[in-house]
Amino acid sequence: MSTSNPSVHKLQAQFPQAVLGVTDFRGETTVLVRASEIGPICRFLRDDPDLAYDLCLFVSAIDQLHLPNPITSRDGGPCRFVVVYQLFSLKHNRRLRLKAPVPGDPPRIDSVASIWPAADWHERETFDLFGIHFRGHPDLRRILLPHDWVGHPLRKDYPLGGEPVQFTVNRDDPELANLGKQIMDAPTKESDVPPWFSGRPDTMILNVGPQHPATHGVLRIVVELEGERIVNAAPDLGHLHSGFEKTAEHRTYQQFATYPSRMDYVAGMSNDLSYILAVEKLVEAQVPPRANIIRVILLELQRLAAHLIWIGTQTLDLAGTIHALLQYAFREREMILDIFEMVCGARLTTSYFTTGGLRWDVPPAFPTKVREFVDYFEKRLDEYEAMLTHNPIYRSRLEGIAVINAEQAIGLGCTGPVLRGCGIGYDVRKSMPYCGYEEYDFEIPTRPYGDAYSRYQVRVAEMRQSVSIIRQGLEKLKKVGPGPIKDPNRKLTLPPREELETSMEALIHHFKLVTEGFHPPAGEVYSSVENPKGELGFYLVSDGNPRPYRCKIRGPSFSNISALQVMAPGSLFSDLVAMVGSIDITLGEVDR
Amino acid sequence: MDWVTDFWIPVIKAIVVVLALLVGGAYMTWGERKLCARFQVRYGPNRAGPFGILQPLADAVKAIFKEEIVPHHVDKAIYLMSPGISFAAVLITFAVIPFGPQIDLLGRQIGLWIGDLQVGLLYLLAIAGLGSYGIVLGGWSSNNKYSLLGALRATAQMISYELPMGLALLSVVVLAGTLNLNRIVDFQGQWPLIVWQPLGFLIFFIAILAESNRSPFDLPETENELISGFMTEYGGIKFALYFIAEYTAMVVNSAIVATLFLGGWKWPAVLSNLHPLAGVALFLAKVLVVLFLYVWVRASCPRVRYDKFMRFCWKFLMPLAWVNLAVTAVIVALI
Amino acid sequence: MLSDYHFIGVFVLVAIAFPFLALGIAWLLRPKKPNPVKTAIYECGLETIGDAWVRFRAQYYIYALIFVAFDVEAVFLFPWAVAYHRVGLWALAEVFLFLGILTIGLVYAWRKGALRWQ
Repeated sequence: MSTSNPSVHKLQAQFPQAVLGVTDFRGETTVLVRASEIGPICRFLRDDPDLAYDLCLFVSAIDQLHLPNPITSRDGGPCRFVVVYQLFSLKHNRRLRLKAPVPGDPPRIDSVASIWPAADWHERETFDLFGIHFRGHPDLRRILLPHDWVGHPLRKDYPLGGEPVQFTVNRDDPELANLGKQIMDAPTKESDVPPWFSGRPDTMILNVGPQHPATHGVLRIVVELEGERIVNAAPDLGHLHSGFEKTAEHRTYQQFATYPSRMDYVAGMSNDLSYILAVEKLVEAQVPPRANIIRVILLELQRLAAHLIWIGTQTLDLAGTIHALLQYAFREREMILDIFEMVCGARLTTSYFTTGGLRWDVPPAFPTKVREFVDYFEKRLDEYEAMLTHNPIYRSRLEGIAVINAEQAIGLGCTGPVLRGCGIGYDVRKSMPYCGYEEYDFEIPTRPYGDAYSRYQVRVAEMRQSVSIIRQGLEKLKKVGPGPIKDPNRKLTLPPREELETSMEALIHHFKLVTEGFHPPAGEVYSSVENPKGELGFYLVSDGNPRPYRCKIRGPSFSNISALQVMAPGSLFSDLVAMVGSIDITLGEVDR
Repeated sequence: MDWVTDFWIPVIKAIVVVLALLVGGAYMTWGERKLCARFQVRYGPNRAGPFGILQPLADAVKAIFKEEIVPHHVDKAIYLMSPGISFAAVLITFAVIPFGPQIDLLGRQIGLWIGDLQVGLLYLLAIAGLGSYGIVLGGWSSNNKYSLLGALRATAQMISYELPMGLALLSVVVLAGTLNLNRIVDFQGQWPLIVWQPLGFLIFFIAILAESNRSPFDLPETENELISGFMTEYGGIKFALYFIAEYTAMVVNSAIVATLFLGGWKWPAVLSNLHPLAGVALFLAKVLVVLFLYVWVRASCPRVRYDKFMRFCWKFLMPLAWVNLAVTAVIVALI
Repeated sequence: MLSDYHFIGVFVLVAIAFPFLALGIAWLLRPKKPNPVKTAIYECGLETIGDAWVRFRAQYYIYALIFVAFDVEAVFLFPWAVAYHRVGLWALAEVFLFLGILTIGLVYAWRKGALRWQ
């Protein structure tokens, strides 16, 4: 039980009976704890000043049904589910993972929602997808699936398969006669309302979404209104739930690399990279410096593109469709997408990064094009600021609106600009650098007030920082010069085309990689990147097969949008759009 | 003057003016789309006819032939009537506005106005309030919460902004000494009233933006909050009527601004004396300028929040209008 | 010769007839195929919760009340404004008295918090 993480000793000393084991893998510490003591352990982890694990990144579970070496419960009995807690300490900049095997059918464990409010939604999700019951949870309802859904899809024995699709119409079919004329039955179903709404006679319960112009996708917010003042608001998720995590279990590591950019489709590159980094950590791939520099440049361009969508849509929410800024932002974003297209042929769902590097090198015109763009963009950014930053109406719509204090934001697991707008300078690029971010000179902009205007200023300042990082990246790219862009390890990356014609070994590697994929060692990793919206992490569990045994996606928007429940009560209905806009969500990633 | 001509002249006049307003409103939708497109580095409608000039026609045909869905649980009679009320109220407002001099047509003297009332301004104020009925009733009868919120906002907003509007007009009346719009236009033969009443003009312009529910004060319809506010449940021709009522209201309001503050058809007299129709052209040009302002504001200002908007009216704009009136009165008394 | 009020009366009739004519034409021309699903009420794609005709906050109503008080007073100012040139300084004093009362009214409403949005 040796570990590099000093927190573990303290935890062991405090709970000698409850700590069942400690594993270190790829520099990450996992502590196996007894489920019955999860409450006191978590409280200790959060409250002890030497530990101070104040940010709960996610709570999820693993179904061990098909795992060759399942973790057993204390008495050695079979234990199908393991609940996983991924924690982070802002003070000590340390990560820690807790795993608690939960016996029983249905499995039960104490809720930690009272310790980290962020766990509230994550536990609901775990309940929804695994059927694990959290004792003492304030509101344990399904969160992603409809409330009348049968079964728990992320269980390994959940039946797969679709519905048969009729591709042809038979002319003898009697239904052909009234094809297109039939009136489909639309059974009316009560819209569900969270049970904790007051339901007073003088309030009005309003569905905002799923079909609403300002919810940025198919989000439903149930709002209880008193006049125009919001009494309660509860986001209702899952309208876009597409089961990425389940899909990942049935794809090889390389195959799944094309999926993450479909989640947060306005920041495809960052999503791709987050997943690729997790896989690279698992297989210990060596990424050449040139590839890392190009990754950083593309990531920052992607951040600009995502923030441009945010500034455009937030202004759209506050000003209506005719306001010109939306189109300006899209004009600039178009140029970024053109650069992406030049690099990899795709604009939105790029899939340009592969395990160990890049799919291919950038075209020679890339540095010039990027430089042209950043020079142009800086002027445009000044223009935006002239239109918005000091516009009294714009400021009055944002200042003092959607306020959340630092303590609440940390508790709810908010990351990214939402957290930085509360004065907490947490940025994965600084705290756990990846792709060589430690070699770049940039600042983490923060603002102390926690309102929508702070978030606005943080994002605008971030855009300026991104421009500076891109400039530095271009310098570095010039210095590094041409070179390899992939890990040369043939067990991980495809050999070059010309090698296939001369080398038998290369051919075999190629064949194996394409048909079977690579076999990472058994183990588990969590890796995250600073997405434009916050910390996007992938937690991969490998059982040695070419497919991930479990893939948990920690999306920033999911936790960030939960802050709406804190922000909304007491404010006006008009501010709801400012809130959703300033949190900046992509539903594809909230619902995953 | 036989009975027939007495009867037919007002009818023809009325039909011509109504049609002109209708076309003006319809082309305002086109004009706004075109202008906004330029603000937003786009082309705007450019498929129906050259420069998309037939777009309003295409829209009208579409609206007329569209199947209409009347949700059950609406208050049907009111629901069906409201768009008509809205549009009619806008048209009626135009009745007292002179859009040109008296002209000689087929041997008759015909004034280019509908009615030359001594209390023209009072008429304007009285009718301006009517438009809110169409909106309030429509929003309420839809039995939709978004419509209801929009309707309530419209009520409070439209009545509140009538006060600064009235006070701004009072300053005009104090200067011109008449409520007759033709006299007010005559009064501006030398200088338009905006020169003497810049503050009054600003207050009035803000108030009519609010009265016609235009951005940044389009709170009753706020497509991003209330979806479409009071017209959420409307489709087809009824939606089109609401829509064109809004745009015709812009045209009519611009005409009022042009008449009261920009010298109407008369100023500058050098031009309007050239030919009777030159006056009409001047008037139109001024209306277009104000309409451009409408669109310009919309393309560059975020929407104000409702409570702040009401506060702005009662706690800033109204006192300001009073001060303006008092200062005007004192200056007039001294001179 | 007809008076201007007759002209306006005719205009009002035409103006009222016009939108209803449009509604009528559309009614004649458009397809009519309603069915229960089509005319169902919904709200953002979901079943409406409760009725839209509910008890609502009195805030709007208070504005309406204040408006009535002030609008009537404003109307009284119009005859004064028209006659202002002829009546002279006396009128100025009178109107300041009048405006003073109005101001006191506004200040009263303001202090009472009637103008604060709740």
